[in-house]
Amino acid sequence: MFIALYMFFFFIMIYIRNKKTLFNCPKPNKNYTLSVITPAYNEEDSIEGTIKNVLSSSYKIEEMIIVNDCSKDKTKEIVEKFMQKYSNLKLINNNKNLGKAGSLNKGINIASGELVAVIDSDSYPEKDAITKMIGFFNEKKVGAVTSAILVKEKDTFIRKLQSFEYAIIAWTRKLLSYVEGVYATPGPLSIYRRQLLLKIGGFDTKNLTEDIEITWRIVYNGYKAESCPAARVYSIAPKKISEWFKQRMRWNIGGLQCINKYKKFFLEKGMLGFFILPFFTLSLCLGLAGLGVFTYLGVTRIFKNFIFTQQTFVAGTQLITSEDIFVTPTVLNFFGIVLLLLGLFFTLTGLGIIGERKGGFRNIFNVLFYMIVYLALYPFIMFVSILKLSKYKIQGKKMGWMTK
Amino acid sequence: MTIELFKNQKHVFWTALLLTIFIFSAGILLGFLIENWRTSKIASLYQQSELDLLDIRIQNDIYSLSEIDCTKVIEENINFADRVFEDAKLLEKYSESSRLSNSIILQHKKYDLLRTSFWINSIKLKERCKTDYHNVVYIYDYQNPSLETEAKQDVFSKLLQELKDKKGNKIMLIPIAGDNNLVSVDTLMNTYGIEEEELPIILIDEKIKITNVENIEEIEKYLD
Repeated sequence: MFIALYMFFFFIMIYIRNKKTLFNCPKPNKNYTLSVITPAYNEEDSIEGTIKNVLSSSYKIEEMIIVNDCSKDKTKEIVEKFMQKYSNLKLINNNKNLGKAGSLNKGINIASGELVAVIDSDSYPEKDAITKMIGFFNEKKVGAVTSAILVKEKDTFIRKLQSFEYAIIAWTRKLLSYVEGVYATPGPLSIYRRQLLLKIGGFDTKNLTEDIEITWRIVYNGYKAESCPAARVYSIAPKKISEWFKQRMRWNIGGLQCINKYKKFFLEKGMLGFFILPFFTLSLCLGLAGLGVFTYLGVTRIFKNFIFTQQTFVAGTQLITSEDIFVTPTVLNFFGIVLLLLGLFFTLTGLGIIGERKGGFRNIFNVLFYMIVYLALYPFIMFVSILKLSKYKIQGKKMGWMTK
Repeated sequence: MTIELFKNQKHVFWTALLLTIFIFSAGILLGFLIENWRTSKIASLYQQSELDLLDIRIQNDIYSLSEIDCTKVIEENINFADRVFEDAKLLEKYSESSRLSNSIILQHKKYDLLRTSFWINSIKLKERCKTDYHNVVYIYDYQNPSLETEAKQDVFSKLLQELKDKKGNKIMLIPIAGDNNLVSVDTLMNTYGIEEEELPIILIDEKIKITNVENIEEIEKYLD
């Protein structure tokens, strides 16, 4: 409770202090050349839209490199068709499956721009998104800039819930940028200094969340990552719960790999060791502790109710009486209600700022469901991810893309 | 150094921490106040019950000087038992929801002593009046019941409440915590051969011990 309250005040204080500059985009002080790299694996449904969106950007795109990682569908044919229309569209076909990070590294090596934008093949940046991000590179210390990633289609309940999550992440990531605490530059749209990527060895091919790992490495090397919520990119979010679960497992496993890789820098090395690592690790530990407590309370309650019901039948007494309806709340219950209200305020504020509070307070049920049920699933996914990671480690297996 | 610190906004880590400590402490303080308010509510009920018990005992002493009007005394005792039983339910609710302060435990002990004293009074009254009401004493595990015991105690509570509703003035219902380390309670338990490990237990007329959940109709037979 203390930590939840602390995080609430932490974010709100940063917000109050900086609310006027959240959507500021510095003007570029020079013309940066930019290459776009899009890794693709079986993306026939979305690649066309991504190409069209990227190449209609208001910022000059020197080249857009699609790295086809041995797709088994028509991705290659679709790209080839568009190459006839766009002279700056390039296609690289991997001889063997390299994974997302490997494909990105291949793209970085042949790219010519000073900056490289990584754009996932199922993501659609707004026309001016890249233009708004470029000016952040005026500051020499900035190694990467990320955007506000939003859900493209909110046609299902799970996608609506994800749209809240994405919006809150976009808002809090911007807030974290004020304390140099941006911990991820996600794949849907992030821009990097190409030379920096080459210097630090490119994306980690062993990590499932190469976008988190590269950010930590950028910070480790003395650079910082910026966030530009004014630059919006729409990404296709998982439509089914099973897809969503798989994606979250990938994020969690990647996060665990990052913690494991950088654990020796805990409370060392600037913001990486003093904030990003502890913040990540604490979230993980608290989530697991919460899951443990919740499971213990749930199991004991079920066990007690089972015995109670069984013995009530023996006694032949009433199972529920009017007295059972009136419960005396504990102080912890009051604390919980206060935290829930603060959380609701925080979520609605974030959604309002990012512009995702559509439907006004009619959407309140969805927001409450998101807060009480959706977020409560995080620790469970983390637990399953730890089991899966351990299993793969024991068996020495390679994890692959984990997206398809 | 300070200017740099404020410029890059990292002071927010400390200011948020200070604000959290302040708000959290205020919350804890408020929690203590709520729990103390509940304890003082119990304390005031206790004071009233204590006065009533004293009143009953003095009445008994007065009657001992002359011919006793058993009907009236028994009626007063049963009314008192009913009121103390209601107090006990509230006390249990507050005890269960108490998280920060232990003051409620002290109140519980005082109530246990009061109810023990009342039980003794009731035993004496039955001897003198040879009446047909029954002492139903419910001795339970308060300090550290296992899950199974908690479930069993919940069933016993419901069972006794239903018995009381059915039998009315035919039973004098006295709930007492049996593990609060009170010498008088321990002595009475020893007298009637009750071990702490046996709790919860229903003792009817200081003779019949019920340790396992039985059908309410079976228990009613002991009271007919």
